Amino acid sequence: MLSTPLVLAASFAYLLTLFGVAHWADRRARAGRSVIGNAWVYTLSMGVYCTAWTYFGSIGRAASSGLWFLPIYLGPTLAMLLAGSLLRKMIRIARSYRITSIADFIASRYGKSRTLAALVTLIALVGILPYVALQLKAIASGLTVLTGTPGGSGPWWSDSTLYIALALAGFTVAFGTRHLDTSERHEGMVAAIAFESVVKLLAFLAIGIFVCWGLFDGPGDIFARAAAQPALKGLSGLGAESKFAGGQWFALTLLAMLSVIFLPRQFQVMVVENVDERHVQRATWAFPAYLLLINLFVLPIALGGLLHFGVGGAAPETFVLSLPLANGQSWLALAAFIGGLSAATGMVIVEAIAVSTMVSNDLVMPLVLRLTHRASTDLSGMPLAVRRVVIVALLLLGYLYFRVAGEAYALVSIGLISFAAVAQFAPALLGGMYWKGGTRAGALAGLLAGFALWSWTLLLPSIAKSGWLATGFLTDGPFGIALLRPEQLLGLTGLDSLTHALLWSLLGNAGLYVAVSLARAPSAREATQALLFVDVFQRSAGAPVFWRGRARLAELQQLATRFLGAEPAQRLFADYARRAGVTDVERIAPDAQLVQHVETQLAGAIGSASARAVMASVVEEEPLAPEDILRMLDEASQVRALNRQLESLDRLKDDFMSSVTHELRTPLTSIRAFAELMRDDPDMAGEQRQQFLGLVVGEAERLSRLVNQVLDMAKIESGHAEWRNDEIDLRELVAHAVQTTAEVFRERDAVVSVQQPDIVPTLHADRDRLLQVLLNLLSNAAKFVPAGSGRVEVRLTADAHGAQVEVCDNGPGVTLDQQQLVFEKFRQGGDAANRPQGTGLGLPISRQIVEHFGGRMWLRSEPGQGACFGFELPWTRQQEETGT
Amino acid sequence: MSERLRNQRLLALFAAGWGLLNFPLLTLWDRAGTIAGIPLLPAALFAGWALLIGVAAWVAEAPGDEAPH
Repeated sequence: MLSTPLVLAASFAYLLTLFGVAHWADRRARAGRSVIGNAWVYTLSMGVYCTAWTYFGSIGRAASSGLWFLPIYLGPTLAMLLAGSLLRKMIRIARSYRITSIADFIASRYGKSRTLAALVTLIALVGILPYVALQLKAIASGLTVLTGTPGGSGPWWSDSTLYIALALAGFTVAFGTRHLDTSERHEGMVAAIAFESVVKLLAFLAIGIFVCWGLFDGPGDIFARAAAQPALKGLSGLGAESKFAGGQWFALTLLAMLSVIFLPRQFQVMVVENVDERHVQRATWAFPAYLLLINLFVLPIALGGLLHFGVGGAAPETFVLSLPLANGQSWLALAAFIGGLSAATGMVIVEAIAVSTMVSNDLVMPLVLRLTHRASTDLSGMPLAVRRVVIVALLLLGYLYFRVAGEAYALVSIGLISFAAVAQFAPALLGGMYWKGGTRAGALAGLLAGFALWSWTLLLPSIAKSGWLATGFLTDGPFGIALLRPEQLLGLTGLDSLTHALLWSLLGNAGLYVAVSLARAPSAREATQALLFVDVFQRSAGAPVFWRGRARLAELQQLATRFLGAEPAQRLFADYARRAGVTDVERIAPDAQLVQHVETQLAGAIGSASARAVMASVVEEEPLAPEDILRMLDEASQVRALNRQLESLDRLKDDFMSSVTHELRTPLTSIRAFAELMRDDPDMAGEQRQQFLGLVVGEAERLSRLVNQVLDMAKIESGHAEWRNDEIDLRELVAHAVQTTAEVFRERDAVVSVQQPDIVPTLHADRDRLLQVLLNLLSNAAKFVPAGSGRVEVRLTADAHGAQVEVCDNGPGVTLDQQQLVFEKFRQGGDAANRPQGTGLGLPISRQIVEHFGGRMWLRSEPGQGACFGFELPWTRQQEETGT
Repeated sequence: MSERLRNQRLLALFAAGWGLLNFPLLTLWDRAGTIAGIPLLPAALFAGWALLIGVAAWVAEAPGDEAPH
């Protein structure tokens, strides 16, 4: 036994450590070095799934029915395999629309319905409150075992469990209600929860190792000894039941799978507090690994305890405490108690934050809004105050529940009953994320049916078994109607009560959800929300705004001030003005975009359903018809397409600019280098100076050629080039071009031959431009022909359609992958090493010119066989043809 | 590896896990015998579970392009 003051001192020291961790994390976050922006911390915070019910209860369950504790952890493992798609979608939706609770999520999907939000909140509250009580009970029984004095009895003011509950309320208020905007993360709280996950895992593993290797000779020894005892033999398997109840195993797995997503605390840590969607990837396997580790020693501890104390010797739920205590390891027992405390407190803290947000936004705020008619009342402090009161009230109610119903059956089995309650959210939520046809009426009908069936088949029987209700309706049915017996509804037998309840409630829930949804088409508001949810990945950028009406800026400002406070409201509008590119807040256009923005900001503070309601009260809205929504979607997608086009044009321009700059820099650099050489060496030999000056002049010429070409290119591309069209004799033009380049070919000892028909009709085009094209092709050929044995052939042909000119050389040719590139700006043929000097603009300009006259340009080449550049010009320009 | 492929692999793993750790395949192990002193059923359950986690880790952590859907 340990002394009570010591255990209490250790407990409060642990709680103080939690405060310390949370405070440290908050400070780091303010300094811009967040500790929770990490996939491991995210994974550990999910460990809040393992409550005192896991820590103490699993062993109790294993001690009575063997491996049946496992489906509760196999379900989440399977659920996490779907997280990559499902959880990421939930996170994206919640982030896009500032959704901060599961009630908000469901209500928002079905047209921001306040009724739906309130119903979901109520179900969560009814399901969760006993669960909170269970955590307090676990702490109290732990204290009893450790100190030998019964906790949770005697006058309430001397009960240490009450003070632990109050300390938890204090922690939750301090770190869970920092910001008005609940879509902001609670850094300190998340860090503390991750820390708690580590503490409870280590404590549990320590006990497991102590039992396996301290008390026994390894797990093999425990199993061997258990196998020798007829009473324990069955526990290594699936319990004493001779026939494996596959249905129940299936139901438990499914239930746990749904719970790990839909429990308010899981939604809080996995969706609301998520920092980065990519962290989900790590959690996919690391969270199941955490669950496996914490379950590794459950069966050995249960069997070890039963072997040690004998069946019925000590309560299996407290084996983690009583085993070390009975063997003189009181410090280990204290560590185990702290582990259990961390499991209980983690659950209570996160659940209290999640539930307080829901109660405040979806139950209290709507009432407050109804009661305060004056629009000028400042309500900005209201949501936070309400949330704080709700947290304290929740903890005190949980404590009260535990004091009144502490020993009852209802509390012992409440874990699974809670799970079954939140599983009722599954049809409306999952359906809403993947099916656009779900409606508000369908969700309401499904939830109500599910909740009613859950109450009738699971909650009421558990209350009756606690002795607070006559059990007559269980055995004979209400008013003697046997068909309505809660645990054999409609005469369905052969299932345990949980599977039976889950089957009926989920069947009724999903059935009504689908049937009522299909009874009529979704309204415009439901359809818009359905689109925003189901297609969230397609609509994250440039989401369409489904709103039409009139709003006044002053009223929107007043509304924001009323709920967010003066300063945050000012900041909101100033930020909006900056992003909209407006100089003054007063000049913001009160359009749909602004209304939507303000409403989303309000949703973070008071929930989307309340935000919708207050927004509707100040702006004049016009109802939308389904056709309007289709049109708005259409417009939005057109705008998106145009935006994409603009972006790609912008990128092209940037590419062009950087190539031009690069090309201009090369000659500039050499000009500057030679000039500096000559400046720094006044005694340079005249001959060398002359040589350098020649290079400078050459480079300057190249530079001006390049600038001219860039200007030329720009003119042609923008359509500002001047064209002086004339009747041109192509034979004369080819002869002129060959003559002009004759000197270049002679330098390389190349032979140029011309093939042309005797008569070629005249062509209507710009002579100078066409000459430019021909010169370009010829000088290109001159660059690539082999020195000494070059042969270049110019072929001019004419047919009914137009005239063709081809310039073929016997150079190295152009490889297939280069052929696509040579007509692009600044792409030069050949490999970088032996590429001749050029601007890389000649061919692109030539092509532009040819295309201006309605012709086309091509390249025929096989590597090693030379290259043929050619172009064709039609007798009549294509545009003129079609124009007449 | 694209996100789509990764999610499909995890989905397949989900189906495999659902079958492996559930009725009726689980009853295959519900018989006498031990592995390293551990009775067959718990040993098989934990081994199957660990295997599932291992494969999930391999799939989830494989480098891939971070292209959204």
